[in-house]
Order: sequence, then C-alpha cells, then structure tokens
Amino acid sequence: MAATKDPNAQAAHVALPGTTHDEFARQEFVRSYKQFLVRHVHGGNRKRYDLAVKPAFEKGHRRAPKDRFEVRDVMTRDPYYQMFSALLRNSQEMMWSACQKPVEREFDALNDKIRHQRGQKTKGSLKLDSNLKTPRYHTAVDIHCQPGAYHSEFTPEDASPGMVYDRGVHIYAMGQMGPYNDDIGASIALWLEDHHPDFAPQRILDMGCAVGHSTVPYTRAYPEAQVHAIDVAAPMLRYAHARANDLGAKIHFSQQNAEKTKFPDGFFDLIVSHILLHETSEKAIHNIVKECHRLLKPGGMMVHAETPPYAGMDPFDAFMLDWDTLNNNEPFWARSHEIDLQALSREGGFDPDKEFEAMIPSALQVAEAKRSKVFQGGDFGGGGLWFIYGNAK
Amino acid sequence: MGTTSRLKRKARGERPYFFDDPNVDKVVSMVMGLAGEVAVARDRLDTIERLLETKGLLKRAEIEAYEPGAAVMAERAAWRESYLGEILRIVEIELEAVATGDTQPYDEAIAAVEKDRQPGRARKKT
Repeated sequence: MAATKDPNAQAAHVALPGTTHDEFARQEFVRSYKQFLVRHVHGGNRKRYDLAVKPAFEKGHRRAPKDRFEVRDVMTRDPYYQMFSALLRNSQEMMWSACQKPVEREFDALNDKIRHQRGQKTKGSLKLDSNLKTPRYHTAVDIHCQPGAYHSEFTPEDASPGMVYDRGVHIYAMGQMGPYNDDIGASIALWLEDHHPDFAPQRILDMGCAVGHSTVPYTRAYPEAQVHAIDVAAPMLRYAHARANDLGAKIHFSQQNAEKTKFPDGFFDLIVSHILLHETSEKAIHNIVKECHRLLKPGGMMVHAETPPYAGMDPFDAFMLDWDTLNNNEPFWARSHEIDLQALSREGGFDPDKEFEAMIPSALQVAEAKRSKVFQGGDFGGGGLWFIYGNAK
Repeated sequence: MGTTSRLKRKARGERPYFFDDPNVDKVVSMVMGLAGEVAVARDRLDTIERLLETKGLLKRAEIEAYEPGAAVMAERAAWRESYLGEILRIVEIELEAVATGDTQPYDEAIAAVEKDRQPGRARKKT
C-alpha cells in the first residue's frame, strides 16, 4: 500500500541532500517547533503587551509607547517575551543544525556530483568570477544565522551552503512555499499574467537568486525568454546551476553584484528580486534600483518582492516585525522597511508615476484553492500574500 | 566538542541572549535539543510499529491492549529507577555526602595537600 505523499513535501532533485530516518525526523521536529511558536506562542506577546506591559508604561508615562523603540525598551524586560525570543532564536539555530547534518554526511558525494555535472553539457550556463568582492553586508554577520552564510567555502568549489540553504528554506517557510520553494517567483509570474497579460519579456534577470528557487517559475511562465540569474555567492550559484539543470530549466547563472552588473544598458525587459532588498544596505539598495533603471529597456519593468513596509503599522506590530533585525542577523531589515519606495524609484531614475506597490496572492494558495474547489476565506493572511514594489520604465 | 564537522556551527555575529542570566537561554536550548531527540526517537518507534503492522506481525491496537504482567512491570520499574538515578545523580550524591560525612570544604583539602610537606624542608618561594 503506497502512502499518499504530502503535496507540499520538498521535491527531490540531483543536488538536494537526502536524509536518514532520524535526520528527517529531526528536521520535522524543527518544522513543528517553528509552527508551534507561530500558532501558539507568538500571539501571547500581544496579550502580554496589551494586558500588562502597556498599562504599566501608561501608568508611569501617562501615555502609550510612541514608537517601536519605546515598545522594545519595555518588552525586552518582559519574561514572556524573553522566553519567546530564546525559543525562537534557538529554533533558527536548530533548523540550520538539522540541515547541516545530512550535508556533512554526504558532503563529498554531493559536491562531486555537482562538480561532475559542470563538466557535462547542461541547459543554461554558469559563470563564476573569483575576483568579485563579497559585499560587507554579506560578511559582517551571517545572514539569517546560516553558519557561514552564502559565501563561505568549506572545500574548493564548494556548493554546500546551497545544500543547507535549499532544505533550510523549505523548513523555514514550513512548506508554505511549495515543493520547489518557488512560491514568491511563481506569485510574481502569476501577477504579471493577470495584470499585464500582453507583457512578453524576451530577457529576464533575477537579482540575488541564491539557489535559483524563485528563478525557475519564470522559465515556465515565459518559455521563449532568455533567463539570467545573478548572485554574489559562488557556492549558491554552483548549487543553483545543478538544481536548475536537473529540473529542466534553462537559466544563465553568473556571479555578479546587483549594484553594478556587467550587462549592457537596456538589456532586460523584466528584472525581479525575491526578498533581496532587505539583505543589502542603504547604499546598495539605491545602487540596485539605479542599476535596474540602467538595465531595463523602455517599457520594461522591475518587480521586487519583500515583506510589507512598516508605514502605518502599530508600534507593537512594528516592534515584533523588527525581531529579525536584532535577533536573526538581518541588520538592514528594519531600515529597509522604512524606506520611501517612491523616493527610492525617483532617485534611481524611474518615473514615480509608474511606481507600484501591492499585496499579491500566493500562487500556491491560488492553485490549492482551485484544486480543492474550496474558497479558504479568512485564511488568506500571513503566508498567503506577498508584498511587491516595482516600477515600469 | 564531540563530533568533527565540515561546516561551521556558529553564525557570525554577536548572539543575543534574552534572560538576565545568559545561562537560562542556554538551558532553554538544551531542553529543546532534548525535546527534539525525544521526538526523533518517537518517530522511529512509530515507523517500526507501522512497518510491523504492514508486515502483519502485529496490530497497533495490540499495543494499546497490551497488559504487562507482574514480572514485566517489575523489570520496567527497575529500569525507570536506575534511569532516574542517572538523571538525578546530582541530588543523590548530595545525600551520600551527608550520609558518609564527606562534608569537608574543598579549600581545606587544598590546604591539606599543600601543607603536606616533608619535615625539615622549607617550601620554595616562587
């Protein structure tokens, strides 16, 4: 009797590390642990704040905390928040650890497989640049606490950071990005299909592609287009290339910094990025938008997926969203969520009248609703929507 | 510690601690680590039960219906006792210290061995 497969279980491919029974169970525990915190513990902070922390503040100050900094001052002293934070930080560390173990076991075999594939004729291509300097915003701290982050190599021609990351993303998103972790890319592609049905980009660029998980959907949505993807980290690109090739996606990967690429002016019709901007810096984010403007043809479009901006958000919610800035090695998270995006566009050379910001539906959730023929009303928030910012040229 | 690893264990960047005493954060991490290993063992047992059931070697309902006899009960109780003895070793040795008169402050033991010189030889000053 064959068991029914979980439709959102991660899809296997040549570069994905396998797991032993216990390694898999360990990863599943982390997934449940994270889910539990989201469902049952996270919300308790709001209760603590409303019922205890805020009233105590109001008693002393005769007013409510005015911004997320004042909320932080009082909440970081609250025992419930302390325990929540200790648990959440620990879950992130356990997640990476649980993803590292299988990679360490298969370290040489997987690296050999990926190296071997590079020698074969592949769909797409891979161009590395050993002279490219890893930007400081990638070396100052290991982003989202992946030990060694994207750029560290533990052996010559290492692809292991990609192996750890691909599995880590699936657990971090608790499977909500689908079997191929591709929901953000697929959602933008779906949004383009719905809102710009006549848009037929010939050349597409994905900036900060990591393992190319968000890049692949564009090869499906626009099979005629030439798809390029860049990242500063060679280990990610090695893995991405092997992964895309195995999934039958033709993508041209190259090691480049999105702030200043080697592509000619007006080379692309569509430039996308997927939660890239908050991993950069104040200077870099401006450079990236300028570079998008240089690289786009007139009539072309850039679309960046991010988490929603803080503007108009209650100080407590902004404080909670800020958790990652301080505690998950996301130093630019807070500032990047306060940037005036219209001004960013204008300074980058774009016409701010053609700037757009929207919450777009998750492609995965749309597909699931179709499959089950059930409208999942009231359950569409949280992971069900993505925020996009962009500009037409 | 213990195992050799190909990758690094710590993410670069100062690690935040949330409690006034950072050791509390560390204990939380240890407890969750142990909770994880219990879940791993539980999943493994679940796999074994399901495989046995698929092969017709047992029905899981039989596990629920299983009534341990007196000898099995005694064996299990003995195992649990020694298991708890291992976990609560720290409490047990505290009692043993009192019971055996092993209550000399440690500084006295240091002083005793340091003063334990051969007669007639002065201690070299360093």
